[in-house]
Amino acid sequence: MGLTDSDKREMLRLLMATRRIEEVMTEHAGGYHQAVGQEAVIVGAFFGLGEGDIASPHFRGTVPSGYVRGADVRKLIAGVLGKVTGYGRGRWRGDMYAPPEFGMLGMWSGILGTNVNNGTGAALALKYKGGQNVTVATFGDGSSNEGAIHEAMNLAACYDLPVVYICHNNQWAITTPIHKACKAKSIADRAVGYGIPGEQVDGNDVLAVYESVAKAIQRARSGQGPTLIDALTYRVEGHFNLDDGAYQPRDEVEAWKKRDPITVLSSKLIESGLMTGAEIEDMRTKANTEIEQALETALNDPDPDWEAMAPFTGFAPDPKQGDK
Amino acid sequence: MKSLTYQEALVEAIREEMDADESIIHLGQNIGPELGGAKWSCRGLEKFAEKGRLLDTPISESAMTGAGIGAAAMGLRPIVQIMYLEFMGLTITPLITDGAPIWFKSDGKVKVPMVIRTLFGMQYHHAGHCEDFSGWLTGMPGLKVVLPATPYDAKGLMKAAIRDDNPVVMMEHAHLMHGERQEVPDEEYVIPLGKADVKRQGDDVTLVAAGYMTKTCLEAADALADKGVSVEVVDLRTISPIDRETVAASVGKTGRVAVVSESWKSSGYGAETAAIVAEELGGSLKSNLVRIAPPDAPMPFSLPLMKLFVPHVERIVETVEKMF
Repeated sequence: MGLTDSDKREMLRLLMATRRIEEVMTEHAGGYHQAVGQEAVIVGAFFGLGEGDIASPHFRGTVPSGYVRGADVRKLIAGVLGKVTGYGRGRWRGDMYAPPEFGMLGMWSGILGTNVNNGTGAALALKYKGGQNVTVATFGDGSSNEGAIHEAMNLAACYDLPVVYICHNNQWAITTPIHKACKAKSIADRAVGYGIPGEQVDGNDVLAVYESVAKAIQRARSGQGPTLIDALTYRVEGHFNLDDGAYQPRDEVEAWKKRDPITVLSSKLIESGLMTGAEIEDMRTKANTEIEQALETALNDPDPDWEAMAPFTGFAPDPKQGDK
Repeated sequence: MKSLTYQEALVEAIREEMDADESIIHLGQNIGPELGGAKWSCRGLEKFAEKGRLLDTPISESAMTGAGIGAAAMGLRPIVQIMYLEFMGLTITPLITDGAPIWFKSDGKVKVPMVIRTLFGMQYHHAGHCEDFSGWLTGMPGLKVVLPATPYDAKGLMKAAIRDDNPVVMMEHAHLMHGERQEVPDEEYVIPLGKADVKRQGDDVTLVAAGYMTKTCLEAADALADKGVSVEVVDLRTISPIDRETVAASVGKTGRVAVVSESWKSSGYGAETAAIVAEELGGSLKSNLVRIAPPDAPMPFSLPLMKLFVPHVERIVETVEKMF
C-alpha cells in the first residue's frame, strides 16, 4: 500500500501526461468532455490497480484512465478522432473507449451509470472466480443520481462485492451545480444508506486520493465489500470543449485553479526533496512531447472504410449451435 | 424418453448446462429454495444455491441486468431472471443500449453470453403481468429473443440460449409453464436459435406464430381442416432474428398467410414477420397478408376481456375462412 519515491514521481508524470492529453483533445476532438484540473481523481483512482483488476471509468477522463492502465496513447487519441487505428476501429466513440485488453470495462453507450453497473457485474465475476481482484468504478456527481448506480451499490453491498466506488465530484453537471441536485452534504453520506463505509477526500491531492482508494481496495480484496469515496475536485473549464462554463462563479473557478493537482503534487515533491524544480520542468516537457507526438501520428492516421463494419451484425458468431 | 412440462424442460436444460459448466450462475428474485421462483421457474435447481450459483437479488432489475452483463464480459455465463416481461422496461439501458452492442463495439474482444429469462403471457385466471411487451426487445442489434411453444422446444432452445455467446432473452409463457406434458428424449439435443419450425404441414394457408399462439393456431388448424382448409403452421421459436427462409418457403408454397401474435398488432415480431413476407413475396400472394393480433389498446385485466383480446381459436378460424 505504501508508495515508493519512484511511484510518486510516476504519479506526477501521469498527471502531466493526462493533462496534456486533455488539452490536445479539447483542441482537436469534435466533442470532448475534458477533465482538465481533475486528473488527480483519475490517477489516484486507478494507479493502485494491478493485473486482473478492472477499471470502470467515468466518461470524463476515460482516455486518461486508459493511459494510466497502460493503453497506447496514440491509439487512444486516434479513437477519439474516429480513425481506424483506434482501439475500436471507429465502432464506438473513442472519448469513452475503455480498452478491455488493459483490464477495463467502461460505458458502451452514452448513458450515465452504465459503467458502474457493468463494473459491479465484473466484481461479481471476480468474487465468484475466487482470488483477490477488484473493480474500481468512477462516476460523476451528476451521474450519481442515476437509479442504476444506487441499485448497483446496494447490490454490491448485499453481496460484499470487491468493488470501490469513487465519485469524480467536480461539482458541476453541465449547468447544474451539485447543491441543486444533491441534498446530502457529501456524496459519501449516501454510503450509510447502503450500509458501506464512505469518505470524502481532497480530489486535487493525488496522494490523498490514492491513499483513500488503497484502503478501500484492501477492504475489497479481503472480502469486506464495497466502499464509496467522494473525491472532491472542481470543473475549472466547461462541461465539454464547446462549452465555456461562463455560468460558473469566477471566484470559485479561480480558487480551484490555484489548487491545480500538478502544482499540489509538485510542491510536495519539492518540499520532501524528491525532485527539483528543474527536474519537474524536464518531466513536463517530456510528457508533453510524448503526447504531442502521439497526436501528430493520430491526426494523420486513416479513417475507417465501410468494411470496418464487417460482418455487419451485432451478433458474435456462435460455433456451438446444435443441429436439430 | 420422459414426459416433461415446459417448466420442467426449461429447468432440466439449465440444470444439465450448469452441471457441465461452472461458469454458469443464475440470479433472480426469490429463486432460492424457499419458493423456487415465480411460477416455480427455478424448482429443480435448489442444489446450486448451496454452491453460491443460485442467487436471490434485491428488487433491482437494472442492477441485476448490469451485473449479468458485467459478469458475462468477464467470462461467466450468467442467467438472470427478470420476473415478468412487464419489468423488462427497467432493463433496456443495461441490456439493449449498453450490453448488446458490446461485442460489436469492442471489435470482437468482449462477448456477452448472458441469458435473461422472463415470464409473460395471458393466463387462464385473472392475473397481472400478462402483457407481451416483446416489441421493446425485438429488432435490436446484438440481442436475440426466443419464445418456445412446447416442452421439447423449451429444453433445446434453452440449451442453445445458454451456449450462445450473445445476450438472449428467453420468454417463458406463463400459461404453458405447467401445461401439457410432452415426450422429451433422454439424449442431449440442442435447437439452433434463429430457426423456425413447421409444426404442421398444409397447402392452403400459412399461419405464422410463436409461443402460446402456436398452440392456438394448431387448434385452429384442426378446426379448419374439418372445413376443408389445409393449414400450415410455422412456429417461429426465435422471434428476433426471424427465420425468414422458413417463413418465405412456407408462404411461397401456400400463397396465403396470417401472422398471429400475442403482442399488439403494430408492434414487434408480428409486424416484422409481415414486413419479411412483403419483402420476400411481394405481389405473389393469392390474397392480402392478414395480421391477427390484439388491438392497439392496453391489455385488460378481466379474464373474459383477455380471452377476446388475445387471438383465440374462433377468431383465427373466422379470419382464415375470409381469406378464400
